[in-house]
Amino acid sequence: MRKPATTLLGILILTATLSASAQVPEDGAGLYTLACASCHGEDGAGTDPGTVAFVTPVPDFTDCSFASREPDADWIAVAHDGGPVRAFDETMPAFGEALTVDHLQLVMDHIRTFCKNVSWPRGELNLPRALFTEKAYPEDEAVTTVSVDVEGSRAITNTLLYERRFGPRSQFEVEVPIGLTETGPGSGWRAGFGDIALGIKHALFHSFASGSILSLGGEIKLPTGSESAGLGGGTVVLEPYISFGQILPSDAFVQLQALAEFPTETDNAASEGKWRAVVGKTWTQGSFGRTWTPMLEVMGETELENLDAVLWDLVPQVQVTLNTRQHVMLNAGMRIPVADTTLRSSQIVVYILWDWFDGGLFDGW
Amino acid sequence: MNYRAAILLAIPTLGISLAAFLRPMAVVRVPVTGTVFYRGDVASGDIINMSVDPFCASQQATAQATNRSVYTGANGGLQDVVVFVKTGIPPDPGSLSGEMPLLDQQGCMYRPRIVAMRTDQPLVIRNSDATLHNVHVYAEVNRGFNIGQPFQGVESQRRFSDQEIGIDVRCDIHGWMNGAIAVFSHSYFDVTTPDGQFSLDLPPGDYDIEAWHPQLGSSTQTVTVRAGEMTPLVFEF
Repeated sequence: MRKPATTLLGILILTATLSASAQVPEDGAGLYTLACASCHGEDGAGTDPGTVAFVTPVPDFTDCSFASREPDADWIAVAHDGGPVRAFDETMPAFGEALTVDHLQLVMDHIRTFCKNVSWPRGELNLPRALFTEKAYPEDEAVTTVSVDVEGSRAITNTLLYERRFGPRSQFEVEVPIGLTETGPGSGWRAGFGDIALGIKHALFHSFASGSILSLGGEIKLPTGSESAGLGGGTVVLEPYISFGQILPSDAFVQLQALAEFPTETDNAASEGKWRAVVGKTWTQGSFGRTWTPMLEVMGETELENLDAVLWDLVPQVQVTLNTRQHVMLNAGMRIPVADTTLRSSQIVVYILWDWFDGGLFDGW
Repeated sequence: MNYRAAILLAIPTLGISLAAFLRPMAVVRVPVTGTVFYRGDVASGDIINMSVDPFCASQQATAQATNRSVYTGANGGLQDVVVFVKTGIPPDPGSLSGEMPLLDQQGCMYRPRIVAMRTDQPLVIRNSDATLHNVHVYAEVNRGFNIGQPFQGVESQRRFSDQEIGIDVRCDIHGWMNGAIAVFSHSYFDVTTPDGQFSLDLPPGDYDIEAWHPQLGSSTQTVTVRAGEMTPLVFEF
């Protein structure tokens, strides 16, 4: 039987190949022109809809708000394996059989030149969020955190946090705690709002070259919670802080935060100083799959008028990306007091994080 | 000759006879040929406007590719028809050829427009053009894919695990580029030549043979294949 259009290659070589005639540029601009410009435009702003056969809008690489926020690794994953690897539209083809990761990195270096405003911190500086340490990177996120006391008189706190960026380096946030406390052994539970907090953060310094980012922020806690139910402090509290993030080799990182709490009515609460540090490292399943980030957080706090009494906590934890888009994550850990353990209970702490800029909560699974 | 010599002579004779008896009998295959004709009016189609891509436009200057969907020979024979055994498939599905079917992109068109292949047979996908093409394969039974081929000479290979006829292939950049793949779990298929001819080698038996064209649909005939000369089949669209 005759076979149509066959080639007698014979051996089953299942890898992509380039013939001797293939001229592969070795610079990012040349590679971009050949592999990307037909759809994304020579200037990165996207080609005219009439010049391609698909209707899916292409992203604008000159829009710094879009182009700066994800790390190269995510862009390369999509270019290598195609849009579906991050649950994006399948119109984005996979180039991994024609271009190496090194080629794609050159392309990425060129794409990074389309955003002309260097004020926007690179997405690589958006380090994994720890359970307590405030990261320095301004984000568009919604986080719900549940804390459960594991011993003593029990309390469950669910904190809803909404963060929104404005401008290249700034972010505001609203935090609403909802508490459930056991008023006494066998005497029932009380539920209510805690002290709602409003915050702002601004990145003072960031450098992709050095892998560093430093931010200054502040919160104001309002006495909206029930003090008698143990859900509020009963006074307005001002909380300035400074956060620092540093990328380390091999996908490791360290983040630091120092903050102070100044109640406006010192009869109800004392001024406190707190410091937090977290180290961690991210592992990726396969080439571009789910990421796992074990972290160890160390926290200390003391009253500013009695610096000798320091409370220390350790918080081992693991963050994992939950969905294909990787914009919904879970972090689970245990807050373990290592000083003054008789009055303080260990806590199980879990958060679900939704990076809402990257899509709806139920998108990308 | 004593009886010992007779036995010594008989052993190889019996051995050869036994080997011949145990050897699998060769399956008789009957050439089943035929022609698919198109009886309708053949529209010449419009010259494709490829001006959105300078390379494609330069190829179009000489190739004058059109957007027609029906190609016929001088005899009215219909090209690009997949003819295959639909029912009555022999127990032996036929061997997997060492040849690898090719889907090429030449002059900003798919060459050939229709590829027929076996399951688990490697399909070579090649870009012979000096411009970016993406090969978007819209499989439903099998796993679809979409690969970018930005350079002249780049090749990829793919296999399909399940039978599926009529897998759409499109280039999302050049909207006029479309083709189709037919994947079979057996070897009893062919694609018609420019003058509509096809050929199948089938063991004797009763078959439903289908002719499928991506735009014109399908036509089926029930055929009894017997050893000896077969009357050529005729399909009409």
